[in-house]
Amino acid sequence: MALIRLVVFGFIFLSVVYLALSWYSRSLRREKLEDSWAEDHPDDPTGPARDAFIADGMAEYEGGLRKKLILLVYVVPAILVIGIMIAINMS
Amino acid sequence: MRYVVNTIKILILLFFAGVFQYVLPQHDVVRIVNTYQERQDLNDWTRIFWANPDDQSVELINRDVQFIQTVKKRTWLLGFIPRDREEVMVYRNEDTGWSWPFYFKFDTASLQTEADDLRSTPEVPKWAVMTHYGWRNELLSTFPNAIAIRAVADPGIYVIPWFNIFFFVFLAVAWLTIRGMWRQFRERSVDPLLHDIDEAADSAGQKARGFWGRWIGRK
Repeated sequence: MALIRLVVFGFIFLSVVYLALSWYSRSLRREKLEDSWAEDHPDDPTGPARDAFIADGMAEYEGGLRKKLILLVYVVPAILVIGIMIAINMS
Repeated sequence: MRYVVNTIKILILLFFAGVFQYVLPQHDVVRIVNTYQERQDLNDWTRIFWANPDDQSVELINRDVQFIQTVKKRTWLLGFIPRDREEVMVYRNEDTGWSWPFYFKFDTASLQTEADDLRSTPEVPKWAVMTHYGWRNELLSTFPNAIAIRAVADPGIYVIPWFNIFFFVFLAVAWLTIRGMWRQFRERSVDPLLHDIDEAADSAGQKARGFWGRWIGRK
């Protein structure tokens, strides 16, 4: 039971961390895209071309490696738990 | 008001410092004198200073606990400054299992055997490094929980607390990330919303603007 409790609450907690980090990473990327557009097109601050540029950049982000790396939020704690178990019990 | 806020901040800080001091691993240089097992009553509030080795132990009002009696090298400043004096220290030896604090310790019986194997006398001392967490308090009968033990030749050894170093570095990184996240959230989500509200309030007239201005602290 204690193991199930740990897994369930651990999963819920890590999911919150995962969602927050995903939002943060996406938001940083969008801001970067907006900034680079503003730098390259100082005469055209808004409009459909800018929207398309940002949509393209975000589509690239959604398929990119960085988004997948956030999944490490689940992997690293699992490895850490196994590592601690080995370090504590196998000496 | 500022005193109240500062007091609350200091109390929160002290609380977390206490929790970390209790829960994080520390290393003592010890000489094992004896081990024993004793039935412990667990049905008052000091239950929080005992572990939950398994599920049924949560409801038990008493159970046998193993102990390790030692003579320990005293230190100052949480073990950073060694001293030439010794004191006695008694450790409990309990599984922490899958529950708090997350040491995932299941090898209590083996650890007790290792401790027995390292027993020595003052005349021919065998020194060992004891990793543990928790507090010894004679008044409340609380004992630090032994986590691991290994023999060392030199009792003057200093153990670098790698786990704690990584832990606090991780904590700092996590704190900076959360702060960055919060700032990004305000900048990208909250401020534009307040800006919209402000504009709507502007068009709704002076009275509404005053209201929103007070509400969000803007003039």
